[in-house]
Amino acid sequence: MTFESLMTYVGWPLIKIVILLGVVAFCVAYTVYIERRLLGFFQSRVGPNRVGPFGLIQPIADGLKLILKEDIIPASAQPFLFRVAPIFAIVPAFVGFAIISFAPPLVTGAGVVHPFVVKDVNLGMLFLLSITSLGVFGIVLAGWSSGSKYPLFGSLRSASQMLSYEIPLTLSVLSVILMAGSFRLSDIVDAQSKLPFAIPLILAFGVYVISAVAETNRIPFDLPEGESELVGGFHTEYSGMRFAFYFLAEYANVVLVCCVATSLFLGGYKIPFLPYETLLAAHPVLVSALGLAVFGVKAVLFLYFYIWIRATFPRYRYDQLLRIGWMVLLPIALLNLFLVAGIKLWLLR
Amino acid sequence: MTPELMDAAGTSPLRKTLETTTMELNFGPQHPATHGVYRAILQLDGERVVAIESVLGYLHRGIEKWVEYRTYTKATPIFDRLDYVGAILNCHGYVGAVEKLMKIQVSKRAQYIRVVLDELQRIANHLLWLGTHALDLGAMTVLFYGLREREVIMDLFEAMVGQRLLQNAYPIGGVRLDFPRGWERACRNFMAELPNRLDEYETLLSSNRMWLQRTKGIGIIGGAEAVALGLSGPTLRGSGVYFDVRKCIPYGSYEDFDFEVPLGENGDVYDRYIVRVREMRQSLRILQQALDGMPEGPLMPEKLSKIIRPPAGEAYFSVEGAKGQLGYYLVSDGTDKPWKCHVRSPSFINLQGLEKMVVGGLVADVVANIGSLDIVLGEVDR
Repeated sequence: MTFESLMTYVGWPLIKIVILLGVVAFCVAYTVYIERRLLGFFQSRVGPNRVGPFGLIQPIADGLKLILKEDIIPASAQPFLFRVAPIFAIVPAFVGFAIISFAPPLVTGAGVVHPFVVKDVNLGMLFLLSITSLGVFGIVLAGWSSGSKYPLFGSLRSASQMLSYEIPLTLSVLSVILMAGSFRLSDIVDAQSKLPFAIPLILAFGVYVISAVAETNRIPFDLPEGESELVGGFHTEYSGMRFAFYFLAEYANVVLVCCVATSLFLGGYKIPFLPYETLLAAHPVLVSALGLAVFGVKAVLFLYFYIWIRATFPRYRYDQLLRIGWMVLLPIALLNLFLVAGIKLWLLR
Repeated sequence: MTPELMDAAGTSPLRKTLETTTMELNFGPQHPATHGVYRAILQLDGERVVAIESVLGYLHRGIEKWVEYRTYTKATPIFDRLDYVGAILNCHGYVGAVEKLMKIQVSKRAQYIRVVLDELQRIANHLLWLGTHALDLGAMTVLFYGLREREVIMDLFEAMVGQRLLQNAYPIGGVRLDFPRGWERACRNFMAELPNRLDEYETLLSSNRMWLQRTKGIGIIGGAEAVALGLSGPTLRGSGVYFDVRKCIPYGSYEDFDFEVPLGENGDVYDRYIVRVREMRQSLRILQQALDGMPEGPLMPEKLSKIIRPPAGEAYFSVEGAKGQLGYYLVSDGTDKPWKCHVRSPSFINLQGLEKMVVGGLVADVVANIGSLDIVLGEVDR
């Protein structure tokens, strides 16, 4: 194996992974900050503003505090499972970012292309769906191994909730894949050069947004950790860094969902009707930078919407939540899928 | 299945090994949704509640006994600590009982000032209740909005009597001081603003489908059952029973004011919620009338000795507290200390309705029901 092939298959991916992990961890930490500030804004209070200018160092202070905390393992817990469960939660949340194209590929020199993605897998969406569905193991194992009743409740709820909402989520994503004709995320983004899929696939977009809120366990679907019922839900018994892992995983999932929604429905890094070819010929770097900025803005807007929901709605009850998933979202998602398939088959041939 | 088959199934070894049991869940005393150190032991079948047992006493301070060793005047402040989010109403109940025991005639102006403070306290209590109840059901923003308005009321209290939460507002016989300068204007400003804010909360909750799904048809208790259990206050009126101490056993000039008693229809969590929200609007009406028709006159009776020594006898005086009928029973033996004191605390008695409300429901409804009862543990355990 030559050095070049070694770089292609090991070196560059590793560098990209390290960069991505750093960027994602940073984004996740500041998502927490943004959420707290925005919630403060919504709720006519200030939010964290003491640590650093505008409280900007707050996430670092929080992280430091959690690292220094004692790691308590309850006497009734099953120590091994209790220790590994947070890993199950956090790994899928971060791995999911690997297939997301954050910007148009940067073309330098004679046909050398640097894509802004760790690995643009041709079955990218399938990979993403399967890897994120592993996240539920972290929650179920935590609930089971804690040896305590509230976490057990939380994890039971979580298991049924995530399974129920995985189906409409997947069906809504399937209609996007049908429209784009590819599982590869960069192809899906390219297919939206003229029109973001959110407009023709408005039903799928709606189903995706609602299911995504449920998948990430947030209000109004935050039953697994419904604070007023289950104290802390599945992570009641966790402390210190292990708790931080769950916390990070939740917010990494939120960021991931925002990125995926941006790619699938909001046109990713594209601006409709922008003459990319002429621009690309003139300023390749500018196109990539613009694409990255557009992606970021779209994702942050979606995030804002997410936080807005949290500030507004009360929590659903367990049975109501499942009823919505199976009786409302699933039929809509199926109907949408059939419609899209029919249109694709008969009209857009 | 025939009885024989059922019997066979019940006695077979397979049946024994696959037997299911209920799960015992300890709900509190350290739990975010119990509004203090209330503890319930739930028997659960899955998420369904089979039985509930309340365990009280974690905040028992022996206030009723403590009072027997204090003079009547010195005992006054302790009653603020019963229901610490509706302290002025507690104070009114106690001084009212002593006044009844001593047959003191409180001046009309003092009565009106008491009405103003009472109704402000009722609004403050309901605002805090609304916020915490909404928070229990996951709507966290309402809490901060409610606290924002409550803060104004606290400022008004501070300007009037010097304290914010536990005001020790009324001395026996009347009120200490008149409204300070500018107080009335500040109060009227608040009264003009509050209806808009209440509309805002109702937009967030009353017209929200999720809120309706979480509250409508949950924790139903019928009027007859509610009366039989001795419930009172908004909890009782939510079941459609017309009973308000201010209307039915008028005290402190409440007969002078024109206001309605909001009633619920179904006796569910939603009705208890909407009754309280409407009560705030009625309280505003009373406030308006009290401020407009404020009579002149002394604040304290002229002939009142420094040492309160009621004649031997007994008196029961009840006010419409924030949670319900708040009664004080005092027995005097002619000395300067009460021989016996008993508080009919509405939180404690309303809590009896909880079992009726939650059994057969889901765990999440327990939270909704505890919230809808509006209990304060200081008053439950005394």
